[in-house]
Parts: sequence; structure tokens; C-alpha cells
Amino acid sequence: MSEVNNGISRRSVLKGAAIGGAGLVAGGSLLAGCGKKKVTGDVHYTIRGNLSDAGAKINIAVNDAYTKKTGNKVISQAVNSDDFQNNFVQIMQGTPDDAFGWMAGWRTNARADSGLLADVSDQVKALGSSLSAAAIQGATNPADGKQYIIPTTYYPWGLHYRKSTMTELGLNPENIATWDDLIKLCEATKKKGLVGYALGDKGGWEAMGTFDILNMRLNGYQFHYDLLNGKEKWTDAKVVDVFTHMGQLIPYMNKNVLDISWDGMRDLLLQKKCGAMMMGSWFANDFKAKSQEDYDDLWIVPFPEINPEHGVDSIDAPLDGISVAANGKNVEGGKDLAQFWGSKEGIDAAVAAGDTSIYISSDFDTSGYDAFNKQKLAVLGAAKNIGFFLDRDTRGDFAGPVVGPAIQSFLKNPKDLTKILESTQAQWDALPAL
Amino acid sequence: MKTAAVNKIVRSRRSLSRNDRFTLSAFVGIPTLLQIIFLWFPTLITVVLSFTYWNGVNVSDIKWAGLANYKNIFLGSPVFYDALKNNVVWLLWFTFIATPLGILLAYQFDRKIKGHQIYETIFYMPVVLSLAIIGIIWNFMLQPGGFVQGVMGRDIGNAVSIWGNYSINSYVIMAVASWRHIGYIMLLYLAGLKAFDSSLREASAIDGATEWQTFRKIIFPTMRPVNVIILVITIIDSLRAFDLVYIIYGTSTAWPLLNILAFQNFAGQGISMKGAAYSVIALVLCVVPILIYLRNVFKEDLQ
Amino acid sequence: MSVTIVQNKEYKNKQKVKDNFISAIIGFFAFVWIFPILWTLWTSLRPYNDIISYGVFSWPRHLNLDNYFQAFRVMGLTKYFLNTLYVMVPSVILILFLGSLIAFVVSRYSFRFNLTLLLFFTAGNMLPTIATYIPVFWLYIKIGDLFGNRSLLYNNYFGIILIHVAFQVGFATFVLSSYMKTVPKEISESAILDGCSVFRHYWNVLLPLLRPPLAALGVLMSCWIYNDFFWALILMSEDSKRPVTSALRQLQGQYITDFNLLAAGASIVAAPTIILFLVLRKQFVSGLTLGATKG
Repeated sequence: MSEVNNGISRRSVLKGAAIGGAGLVAGGSLLAGCGKKKVTGDVHYTIRGNLSDAGAKINIAVNDAYTKKTGNKVISQAVNSDDFQNNFVQIMQGTPDDAFGWMAGWRTNARADSGLLADVSDQVKALGSSLSAAAIQGATNPADGKQYIIPTTYYPWGLHYRKSTMTELGLNPENIATWDDLIKLCEATKKKGLVGYALGDKGGWEAMGTFDILNMRLNGYQFHYDLLNGKEKWTDAKVVDVFTHMGQLIPYMNKNVLDISWDGMRDLLLQKKCGAMMMGSWFANDFKAKSQEDYDDLWIVPFPEINPEHGVDSIDAPLDGISVAANGKNVEGGKDLAQFWGSKEGIDAAVAAGDTSIYISSDFDTSGYDAFNKQKLAVLGAAKNIGFFLDRDTRGDFAGPVVGPAIQSFLKNPKDLTKILESTQAQWDALPAL
Repeated sequence: MKTAAVNKIVRSRRSLSRNDRFTLSAFVGIPTLLQIIFLWFPTLITVVLSFTYWNGVNVSDIKWAGLANYKNIFLGSPVFYDALKNNVVWLLWFTFIATPLGILLAYQFDRKIKGHQIYETIFYMPVVLSLAIIGIIWNFMLQPGGFVQGVMGRDIGNAVSIWGNYSINSYVIMAVASWRHIGYIMLLYLAGLKAFDSSLREASAIDGATEWQTFRKIIFPTMRPVNVIILVITIIDSLRAFDLVYIIYGTSTAWPLLNILAFQNFAGQGISMKGAAYSVIALVLCVVPILIYLRNVFKEDLQ
Repeated sequence: MSVTIVQNKEYKNKQKVKDNFISAIIGFFAFVWIFPILWTLWTSLRPYNDIISYGVFSWPRHLNLDNYFQAFRVMGLTKYFLNTLYVMVPSVILILFLGSLIAFVVSRYSFRFNLTLLLFFTAGNMLPTIATYIPVFWLYIKIGDLFGNRSLLYNNYFGIILIHVAFQVGFATFVLSSYMKTVPKEISESAILDGCSVFRHYWNVLLPLLRPPLAALGVLMSCWIYNDFFWALILMSEDSKRPVTSALRQLQGQYITDFNLLAAGASIVAAPTIILFLVLRKQFVSGLTLGATKG
């Protein structure tokens, strides 16, 4: 959609608004003849998260901006994120909202293969060079080479901490370069009475972040990728090594790892009860919502090198974006909204509403990023290979039902490792062909 | 005489008018159809699907799997045995601790001890609450920063592990579940006791029997029909347990139960028919107690 | 006779001491029992900042209903309460109506399959519902597509009502048919002799007699349906149509969950069932016990 077109439609919307509310939609459709096909009609949108979350306000702000631009009303509803993910296949088969925030990787590709998601390749093309080749690659379904998600934001998984806490302790995590350094850091934090390595795994997925990074650091990205796709065995000594390292971190973890979920981890950091925390940076929005001071205190560094062969060349950086339901009432409208989310105007609206994400679009001027976002970019820049996170990199009937409980069992009882890995492999082998 | 009267009323189909026959068929047919379509048919679908591979979207993708899902569960999924264990723990706890406590309370309240009315109300109150609310209430009590942690002098940073501590979490879950179950059993038993002839008890007291002897030798045996029903309800509820644990742990399998596994695999993020197999296993386990229940309840009719 | 009375007196005196002791113990446990509820109420009256600044056990600086007002505002509770009513009222009426139909036929007309029917309905009530969640969803979609309107049952109050009816009608049938056995058959006899049609026999003669168990069941069913939230989770795609119990989820997972607000929300949502129970305790009890212990 060209700039000129946008200008016209915006003006006509204003005119329509002056005449009366009813003119809003009509103003858009009258333009259908001039230039490109004009998308009209109400668009339904699902906010993945609770209405009270900081993220919900950002979602609404972007949708409002879309309405302002196109005159198409966006009807948003907030749905608890867990409920949405658990019922995703059912929701998509029923009467889904047209567009919704979603995640690239297996969760998009497999559902696209089943025909539940709409092809947004045209929208990706329209966004053109603003999306990097790597981002498009990441959003592409290998089965048919099409895109079913418009990538908008991404974030690194890394070691998060509060600068003030570390300063008080006389530590500087920016200097940790090796595994031993990390252990020393944890040890020192623990000595001061804080949690050395904050972890929660009640949800069954949080500790996958630690598993991913250890596997990538120890065995390299290729091995990690192959393992998640069944080309390597879970019983491999290399995987045992990963868990051995995780086991070395257990003494520095909070004693209630299986009691708390990701929000519990976040609270540990927010309330200055822990040193380092391995997590995806998306939770920073909550820090900002709490106070600017808390947000400014937040920092991230890459997980240190363990195996010099792989250095710090890999990272989990899940790609988030907007998908469009194939069964929605207004699929074209959904696609248009999704494209808006990926455009500069959409990003501007999100940033104005306080979003702390880093954006994929090169149309967005990164010089305006705050210090924390610049650091996130630096962390991402250090890596060559990008993983999406375990539960997006492997089959859904394997990640949640098999790997999740396996890691939980390990954290519960590290001595059972051999048994746990054997059964994990056995359960992979028993999966039906896709 | 009575029989004659009854015989007159209980007429064969033939003696009814066409209209009446139609009305009767509708009376029976509509609810029966509803039950068949929305309850028995879906259950049957689940049973059939448990022998297939499917990702839950396109019917054409369904592939026959034979016993593969069951083999996978029995031989390859240790979490199944954890779940089975938890279901058994639940069953034993309810049978030997929660239910007897409910009976004990009912017995005491039936004797109209001081304050029995208000006690009855209090013990029954949790039963009328939604599990969504019970989850929230107990979170207030147990979460880091909650009441129990506060009493122990712990804040969020050094909170005691409760849901994730495997030496105590089973007990905690059982306690929360009992919070609801005891009141329920208490009420059921109390109603049974109301029908019990209290002079029998007094007579036995006069004979010098202790309270315990009276209960064990006189009241308990007389209450046999109620006992069996309560026992069976306890068993079925233990095998069907799902909601409370779902509220606490979500679909993660930190404290698995058969139905949690069923839900996690059937719905959840993966959608595999292994979930259907899990629910069939839970269903099969329920069948025997259900049959016992039916036999007991309809004993007279069956004869 | 007089001896018995004297012995009784002695026995009663001894028993009295013991009873007071037992009463005290049970009283203690009753306090433990109700404490979580009281604590939730207490929490709901305090602002979140008070807890953060002074701790959970601090002396309250502020006690007010702000959390309640906020809960109503944030959650849009009125809307969700209405949703609950839209589902609950028709469901309960239908369950009672259909249940009484079956109970009426089974206890007043002798067919070969009477007992089978009763067994069928009672067993249906005991099935684990998890096994049916997903197939019911597919069924709803397919039925909807068949009639060209996917929202015919799915994402529709009607669908939720139907599923509640299908699942609870078994219990109602069972309770009402047990009760029916206590109603003298002579009443039916005279009705039939008077030449009543089947419908009038049911509507004018038996239904009025069933008032007590219907009232009891109605209270109990209202409570159960009010408390349910799983069906809505699966069968309602629009959040704004979900019942009030689901709405509670909107309060959870805030950047730091405001537990005091959540406590207020929980209290509001719990209030109707608790009030219902306190006011109509007798109906509750007889509804349950009729079912479980057969009168």
C-alpha cells in the first residue's frame, strides 16, 4: 500500500467522521476503485494475554491506530494466554477472530499445514525489504515456502539481572565469559543470601530455555536442531552432558523451582531477590509498567561460552508476529491488520504505548531504542544461529507432553537422568509420522 | 390389594391412545436423544479415536494406529505411572481419611452437639464454591507471600516450596481436595443418619456400650446402603479428579493425574490421540465402581 | 421405666462433659475450615499497596471496598453475571423439565426398558467428562456446518445450555424417580380413571406433587452450573460471552498480580452461591441427599 493511498484514505476517513459516524466504513469502501484493492469491514482481533496485562494496552493502541488509518473497526478481546494456546486448534476450527498475536515456528507451520491459518505471503511481500531475509526465512513454512505469520518482534533469551543488585554485591555479570565465571557469579550471589540462578518451571516450559542454551553452548546449534527433529538421540552422551550442567546450577536455584511459573521468576527479579535469571526479554514490559526506575535497572547479557568450539554463536530468539485465521469472518481484513502491525505506523503506535520490544522492520529507526533494547540487539548480534525456543522448534505433541515433564522430573530428581532420557527417546520413537 | 391397584395403573402400551403414545414417546425420546448425542456418542468417538493417530483437524488425516497409543502409554510413558500413583493416593486418602472424617462429623452433628448447626454450615460451605475460586483461595494461603508462608516468616525470596516439593505437595493437594470432600460426605451421611432410629442408640448406651461400640456395632451396619453409596462416590470422584489440579498446575504435568494427561494430550498444544487413550483408561477404571453403584442403588428394581 | 430415666440422666450428664469437649475440638476445626474464606475476605478489603509496604500481617491502615469497585470495573462483572444467567436459568428449567418427564414415565408406565432407561441415565451422570470435551466440540462444529451456521451451537449460549442439560439430566431423572416412588400411585390411578391424557396426568397431577424435589434440585443445579467454567472455555470462543467464573482469569497474571483485587473478584463471584446456600440450605441438602441416598 503506497503512502499516497494511505494519505487519501486517512483524509477521507476524517471527512467521513465529520459527516457522521456512519460515514466511517463507507468512506473506506468508496475508495475501492482507486488504486489498490481496499480492505473494509470490522476486524476481530485476539489479544493473547489478560486484559490487565501491560501488553493488552499496547495491542489496543496499535489496533486503534489501524482504525484511525483505515476506518476499519477493530474489535479486540483479551484471552488468557494459556487458555488460548491450549485450545488453539479448537479455536481455529470454530469461529476464530480474524487476527491474533502468535509465534513463528512449529506452532505456526503445523497449523498452517492443517489449513487453519491464512497465507500472508502477499502481505510479507508488501512489507518488502523492511523485513530482513532472515526474518522472512524464520516465518516461512518449510512445507510450502509460504508465510503464515507476519513477523513483528523478537527477543533474546539471556541472563537477566538488575544492575543495582549486582553493583551492591560488587559483581559485574558483563565480565562473565565462561561456565566457571557463571558458577562463581551464582556462588557469590548465593553467599549474599540471594538466589543465584532464578528458575521457575511450574508451567513446564520455562526451564526449556536453560536446556536450549546449554545444549547450544555445549553441542552447537546443529546438534540442538537435529535433536529436536529426531535426527539425534536423547540418550546421547552429549545430552547427558547438558543435564549434568543443568544439575550444577541446581544448588544456586531458588528452592521452589517447581512452585513458580515465569511470573514468579519475574517477581523474584523485580523484588531484588535474585541475581541472574535465564529468561526471554519479553517480560521487560512488566518492569516498565511497574516503574521506569525498575525498567532502567534491568539488563541482559548472553549466556557465557562453555565449549570454545561453539563460543556464543547461538541463541534462542523467538519470533513473534501476527497470524490470520483461515476460518475468520474477514480474512482479508485480518491480513490487512496483520500487515499494519508489521508496518512502521503499527510499530510507532506500539512504541508510543510503551512497548519495549525490538522490531524486525528496518523501517523502524533503531537509534531511538533505549539502552536496554540496544543491549538486547547487542546480545542478538553476538549470535550466528537463531533458535525459536524448544516448544516452537519441535513437535507440539513432543515438547509439552514429553520434554516438559522430563525436565521437571530431572529438576525433581537429578539422579533419575538415565531413565528420564531413555523414556524421552522412547516417546519420540513412538510418535506417529506427521 | 395394593398390587391390584398398581396393576390397573401400569397398563400396557396397547391400551393407550395414539396421542398418549406419542406424548410418552416424546417424553422419553427427547431426553434420551440428548443423552445419546451429547454424552454417549462423544464418549464412543473418544474410544474409537484412541485407536488412531490424528492431529485433530481434518478427518481425512485419521490413521489407524491399533494399540499403538496404549502401548506407548503403558510401556513408554513413565508419567502415566506417576499419574496412576497419584490417582491411587487420591483414592486411598479419600477412602481412608477424608470420607471417614466426614462420617465422623456427621455422626457428631447428628447427636446435636453444641453448635452443630453453625458447624454444619461451615463445613459445607466449600462445597458450594467454584473450583476456580477454591484455586484462588488456596493460592492466597500457600503462595509465596501468602498466609502460610507469612506465618513461617518467609517472603517471596525464600518462600518454602509447597506445590513443587514432592515430599509434601501430595498432602497439600489432598488437604485442599478434602476441604471440599469432607463437607460433602458429612452432609450425605447426615441425611442417612436422620432416618436412623435414635432410640436404638440410646438403648445401646444404656446397655453400657461405649460411643465407639455403638457406632461400630449398631449404627454403621444399619447404614450399610448409605456406606456403599458413599464409598462408590468417593472412588468415582477420585478417578475423575481433574479440576482442582488443573487450577493449580494447569496442563503441565508437575502433579499428573489420568485426566490431566488426557486433557494435556487431547486438547493442549499437541493434540494427539494418546490423550483419547488416556481418557479411555480413566473411563475403564470408572466402569466397575459405576456398575457397583448402579447395582446398589437399583437393587430392589433389579430383582 | 423410672430406672431407665435415672440411668438416662446419669448417662446424659457424663455425656454432656464429653460432648462439650468434642464440640470444642470440632469448633476448632470449623475455624480452620472457614479461615481461608475469611482470609480472602479480609485481603479483599485492603489495598495492595498496604500489603506491599507493611506486609501481609500488618495492622490495616486502610479498609475499604475499593477493590470491589475496581473488580467490577476491570472485569466488567455485570456483563459476565448476565452471561451466567443466560445459561443457568434455561439450563436448570430444561433439566428439571426433562428429568421429570423421564421420571414420570418410568414410575407410572410400565415398559420393558424402564429400568434400562434409568440405569442409562444414572450411568451417564457418572462418566468422566474429560473424555467428551473434544468430541463435543467437533460435534458442535459439524452440526453447525450442517445447518450452515457454525455458531448454531458453538460459541452460542444455546450450545452451553444444551451440554449442561445433557450432562445433568441423568442426575435429575434419578433423584426425581426416587422421589416418585414415595408418591402414592393411587393419585395416578384416579387421574387415569378420570380420563386424563398422558400430558394432563403429568402436568396437572404429578408436577405439582414434585414441587419439593424440584425446588431442591433447582437450587443444587443452579449452584453446579454457576460454578462450571470448563465448558465455556472449550465451547465459547468469545470471551465476552463467557460466564462469570471464567472472567476471574482476567484478573490473574497482571504484572504483579494484585492479589487484593483478585480476592475481591473471587468474593464477588463466590457470593451468590454462598448466599443461596445460606438462605436455601434445606433445599441444598435434600437435593443432594435425595440423589445419593435415595430419600
